[in-house]
Amino acid sequence: MLPEFTITRPSRIDEVIDVLSADVVPYAGGTELLLAMKMGLLVPTGLVDLKRVPGLREIAVSDTALLIGAGATHDDVARNELVRTSAPLLAEVETRVGNARVRAQGTVGGNLCFAEPRSDLLAVLAAIDASLVLRSVRGERTLSMSEFVLGPYWTDRADDELLVHVSIPMPCPAGAYLKLQITERPTVGVAAVRTSSGQCRLVVGSVVEVPLVITAESWEEIDPVAIAREVEPVSDIAGSSEYKKHVTEVYVRRVIGLAQGGGR
Amino acid sequence: MSEPHVSETKSATTSRPGSATEVATTVNGVAHRSWVANRTTLASFLRDGLTLTGTKVSCELQVCGVCSVLVDGQPVSSCTYLAADVDGRTVETVEGLASGERLHALQQAFVRNFALQCGFCTPGFLMMSKALLERNPDPTEDEVREYLDGNICRCTGYQPIVAAVLEAAAEMRGGRSA
Repeated sequence: MLPEFTITRPSRIDEVIDVLSADVVPYAGGTELLLAMKMGLLVPTGLVDLKRVPGLREIAVSDTALLIGAGATHDDVARNELVRTSAPLLAEVETRVGNARVRAQGTVGGNLCFAEPRSDLLAVLAAIDASLVLRSVRGERTLSMSEFVLGPYWTDRADDELLVHVSIPMPCPAGAYLKLQITERPTVGVAAVRTSSGQCRLVVGSVVEVPLVITAESWEEIDPVAIAREVEPVSDIAGSSEYKKHVTEVYVRRVIGLAQGGGR
Repeated sequence: MSEPHVSETKSATTSRPGSATEVATTVNGVAHRSWVANRTTLASFLRDGLTLTGTKVSCELQVCGVCSVLVDGQPVSSCTYLAADVDGRTVETVEGLASGERLHALQQAFVRNFALQCGFCTPGFLMMSKALLERNPDPTEDEVREYLDGNICRCTGYQPIVAAVLEAAAEMRGGRSA
C-alpha cells in the first residue's frame, strides 16, 4: 500500500516551482513514481500534480528546435504530427516504449528524471543531441543529456527544479534505433544517427549505467566487438551478462547497417 | 479544521488532514462524488468503494494488464493510478461494456472464439481491446498483438484473443456492433 501524502494541483508553472523540495515532488503519469512509492524506495510527503498545468504538455517547433513539454506522454509524442515529420526516429521509438498503458500515462519528463538506465528515451535523446530545460525559483538552465544523466536513477536536477521541456535541434539527425525487449523495459537498446555536420554518432543504452556515446567520422571506424567488450551489463531475469554483451555486439552491427541505409 | 469525510472505501481510511481529495467522477455513466484518501488506487476505489469487482488486480506493477480500465478513453493500469486523478474525468470498466443483457461486440467475439478460460485476465483484455478499436477501428493482426503485448493470459495462448479482437473489429466496422 502507498504511504500517506498530500496532493496539490497547481495551474501555473511558477506555482509548481514555488513548492518543490526534497519531500514535495513533481507528479505526472505516476508510472515510475507510484511504483517507487509502493516499494518504499521513495516516501515523499507531497505530490505536485503537473497534469493540470496548461502548457507543460505542449509540443511546438521552431526553425532551430523541436520543443517537447515534459508533461507530454509517450503517446502524445508518438502520435504528434510535428514530431512525426521533424523527428521521425523519436516518434518511432515512442510508439514502442513500455506497454500501451505506460505510453498513455507515462511522460517524457518522468522517464528522464527517473533516469532508469533501461530507457529507450535516454538512448535516443542522447543520439539526437537533445538538451533539457530546467526551471526553479533561482532561474532557468539548459543541460545536455550527458550533463543531466549522472548515473542510474541519478540526474543533475535539484530538488527544487522542474524539467520544463526537452529541446531537439532542427534539423533532427536521422538514423535508427534497435532494441531487444522481453519485459516492460529494454534489455539492450542502440541508436545510430548521422549528425547535420556529417558525424556518425552511436549510443548504447540499457546495458550501461548512463548512455554510452561513441562518435566517429565514418561507421567503419566503430567496432561492435570493442563496444561489447567495454560494456558491463548485470545478469538478471532478462539475461546473463555474457548474453547481453553478445546481443550488444549484434545490435550495434545491425543498427549501423540500418543507419548506413539512411534510417529515419 | 474538521477532518474530511472519507467515503466507505476500505483502503480510504485517513488520519492526516490534507491526505484526502474530493473526487467527482463518472463511472460507466453514473456520477459519483466522494472524498478519497490520496493513497487510494483507482483499482481499490472501483473494487472496494463502488463494488465494481470486474476489474482485477494481480501484479500491481502495471505489467500484467488485468486492472486495465479507461480514463477519458485512455487505457490505464488502475493498480498504479491514483483515484484522486479521476476527479473531473470519466471512467469505463468492464461492467460498462454490455447494454443490459446484450453483450458488447468484443464480449460476444470473445465468447465465440473461446478467448478465455479462467477469465481472470479477460476484463483487462476487453478494455485494452476497446481502447485499441476506438483509436484504430481496422487494426492488422500485428497491431492487435503489439497493442495487447502488455496484457498477460496464462490459459489461451493468445491466438483466440487476437482472433476475437479482429472479428469484433470487422463486425463493429460493419455497423453491427452491440
